[in-house]
Amino acid sequence: MSKYLSLSLKEIHELLVNHTITPVDLVQEAMDNIEENKDLNAFITLNKEDALKRAEELSKKEVGESLLFGIPIAVKDNICTKGLRTTCASKMLENFVPVYDAFVVTKLIDAGMIIIGKTNMDEFAMGSTSKTSYFGAPKNPWDKTRIAGGSSGGSAASVASSIVPLALGSDTGGSIRQPASYTGLVGMKPTYGRVSRYGLVAFASSLDAIGPFSRNVYDNAVLLNTLVGYDERDLTSSNRTPEDFTRLIGKDIRGMKIGVPNYFQSDIVAPEILERLENVKQILRQAGAIVSNVDVRHLEKAVMLYQIIAMGEASSNLARFDGVRYGFHVEDAKSADDLYKRTRQLGFGAEVKRRIMVGSYILSGENASIYYTKALKIRKDMKKSFEEVFEQYDLLIGPTTTTTAYRLDENTTDPSQTFLDDVLVIPVNMAGLPGANIPMGLSSNRMPIGLHIIGNSFEEAKIYQLASFLEKELAFDFNPKGGE
Amino acid sequence: MDYQTTVGIEIHCELKTQSKMFSPSLNSYTDIANTNIHEIDFAYPGVLPTINKKGVELALKAAMLFHCEINKTMFFDRKNYFYPDLPKGYQITQSRTPIGINGYIEIETKEGPKKIRIHDIHIEEDTAKSIHHHEKTLLDFNRCGVPLIEIVSEADIHTREEAILYVEKLREILFYADISDCKIEEGSMRCDVNVSVSNTETLGVRTETKNVGSITHVGDVVEVEAKRQIEILETGNKIYEETRRFDEAKQETVLMRRKETGNDYRYFPDGDIPPLVLTDEFIENVRKTLPVLADDRRKVYREHGISEGNIEKIIANKKISDYLLELGNIDLKIASNLLLGDIQAYLNKENKNLEDTKFTKEKLITVVSLLSTGKMNHKNFKDMLENLFTTDESPEKLLEKLSASNITDEALVSMIQKILGENPESVKDYQEGRDRALKFLMGQVMKETKGCVDARRANEILQQELKNTRS
Repeated sequence: MSKYLSLSLKEIHELLVNHTITPVDLVQEAMDNIEENKDLNAFITLNKEDALKRAEELSKKEVGESLLFGIPIAVKDNICTKGLRTTCASKMLENFVPVYDAFVVTKLIDAGMIIIGKTNMDEFAMGSTSKTSYFGAPKNPWDKTRIAGGSSGGSAASVASSIVPLALGSDTGGSIRQPASYTGLVGMKPTYGRVSRYGLVAFASSLDAIGPFSRNVYDNAVLLNTLVGYDERDLTSSNRTPEDFTRLIGKDIRGMKIGVPNYFQSDIVAPEILERLENVKQILRQAGAIVSNVDVRHLEKAVMLYQIIAMGEASSNLARFDGVRYGFHVEDAKSADDLYKRTRQLGFGAEVKRRIMVGSYILSGENASIYYTKALKIRKDMKKSFEEVFEQYDLLIGPTTTTTAYRLDENTTDPSQTFLDDVLVIPVNMAGLPGANIPMGLSSNRMPIGLHIIGNSFEEAKIYQLASFLEKELAFDFNPKGGE
Repeated sequence: MDYQTTVGIEIHCELKTQSKMFSPSLNSYTDIANTNIHEIDFAYPGVLPTINKKGVELALKAAMLFHCEINKTMFFDRKNYFYPDLPKGYQITQSRTPIGINGYIEIETKEGPKKIRIHDIHIEEDTAKSIHHHEKTLLDFNRCGVPLIEIVSEADIHTREEAILYVEKLREILFYADISDCKIEEGSMRCDVNVSVSNTETLGVRTETKNVGSITHVGDVVEVEAKRQIEILETGNKIYEETRRFDEAKQETVLMRRKETGNDYRYFPDGDIPPLVLTDEFIENVRKTLPVLADDRRKVYREHGISEGNIEKIIANKKISDYLLELGNIDLKIASNLLLGDIQAYLNKENKNLEDTKFTKEKLITVVSLLSTGKMNHKNFKDMLENLFTTDESPEKLLEKLSASNITDEALVSMIQKILGENPESVKDYQEGRDRALKFLMGQVMKETKGCVDARRANEILQQELKNTRS
């Protein structure tokens, strides 16, 4: 049973400082938790020996002031870890061991964290269910017959089940916030450029972002503090002076102006989710915040934009998996063309191939200007519209998802349908804004319902301020009982 | 209407940078295979490109020297295709916003000067090198990511002569600006020659002959490819868009592959590289580093009366040319004669570089001024040559020594007689047997001759003269 890892970072830290426990105890517990929760299928690769060795080393050191010291963390399997298999949940990289650490991994290690394993996900982060994983779908700790969401489903499942207190995910079109919503977690997609992408296996370069999962707001901000910073190896990384993302936590929200996009309250969203949203609006008004409905242009087009931009970029980003230098390749290729065709035919799953094909089509010849260039224009205008709204509002809120987590065996025959679930989260990627999910209640069938908080660029601290206020007000029970 | 040949040339040049265009590994692909590589060159999952500032600087220099309009805001694009030497599955290039557009190069044809327009010049990265070996293909990634500029001419070239002059001029400019070492044979400069023929107003279908191995062969390709195409058309057949190569031995072009219609590179902006904005300050700083080009140098040399033969020798040796530029306003004809003649010969003999000897620029300037004012002749220079290279003594000092050593016996005798006349005390001391006096008198002789006289000869004459004064 979980003992320490279900506590908050501050609580664990105190125990470490008091020498009540050591990092070795934490790693041991995490490993036990993984064993107990094997059926969740949250992990693809465990880092058992290495994690224990590192915990032993850390146990000999001063605990220091960092709340992250000695803390086990799970890392999504599309973030490169030197010497530790990184598969992107694909047959293509089933045996791929990176030769370098991603920027964020170096940051975790420098902070004294211990990587416990690599989490399950949709293949190459392409999906909203984690069902496209070559290693089978992870399950939702709240109800194991249901999805944990995607693409960072394994990271969400590992934190929601208290296997670890923290995990890293990546978010190209909602892949942190949607699983966080489905599993009742705090999940932050930071501003584009806030966290270096170096070492994140690229899906859609102009949308990809790495961010933290946690069970409470404060811990999330603490982990983000460590992930950020300028990285000269990522030209899109922002060169801002460091800030403390916890600094506004606990500050009064009186007078805060909060907008709620009309589209986010339309009938695309399940009634019981809209009910929870109304409840939140009421709480905010009572606390002296100003809540009003707003309009942001093109929100309804977000999914279409995503299909064009993300798939176009993906078709190019995944071209490197050709069987020549690393990863899976067919053994009996008769020519270079034969090597490419059959390696990619057998190495990629159906969804990945579908997206590569759509993306290639979109960029092909005339189509590039018909689709891609046009999508970029609309995207720009959407971003501008967000900026205009943020001139008058501090934050925007809405539901994170249109429904709660659906059943694992629920099969959609129309692949384009699955994207519609992400209609509320994708606009944030399109505009490069920061957005977070926090739980705002449970549905009638006891599944978590998530609130989406969107900030202006680089205003993560303000998101955490509102998130922590609501966390306290809603007094949400983070503990999934699991539904057998 | 006669057949008119129309030629456009695309030239890839590797830039002389320390590191690669988008990765930190060394730009030195002649090293042992696969030693100058990085996770970025290998297109490992998760890697991202960075931009080599020096590469941008050199490309900008080239764009300025070819009189291009500069794109101050540049995007980088991806050109997508599959090939084993292209690890990312795309090449980073500039398709929408090349660094320079609408430039030209002026060539000197027999009919007079002609401008060959340059469509654009853009930055891109080289591919890995495929080495075919026993039916296998080996890949050397040292070259992968090496910075390139591609210079695309307009179809303004019509003859063998123009093609050769264009490539020669372009090469000379890039070489003089230290942008590329332009070694065609080693592949640091590669020429693709597009040729079409037509006997109507509309251009014919063109073929592209890739990777032509020398400047002369560029001319050959223009000739033989035009001839081949005319023959095909004359026999009522059709020209296809093709990629061909040049067989040097057979002096003919050979089909490599027929271009499929709609070759689809799926160009789109590279999201990993934000738009690069060249500030006016950056551009001006690069402008300040523009070199004096060969043609401008030729003008200066002609003004100094240097022979045409020597001018081309100097232009061909950029080191000497640069050196001459740094000498300032002196007689460059004399300077170039020395540099190309005795100095070069000495250096060749000793297998040394000028900068490794003691023959400094200051010394050369002095020598030239001594020669040009007639204070010294060429024989003097030859006599002091060794000392100029090996000692710290100034040319003036060496010249004095030389003239002193040239002193005749008669002159020495009369000088010594004069010294003895001026020092009767010492003469007396000597005669009274004090050896000290001889040393003193000898010192006077050396002082008078500035130490440049053979001491034994002087000593003999001194003793002889002392004897003479006694009798």
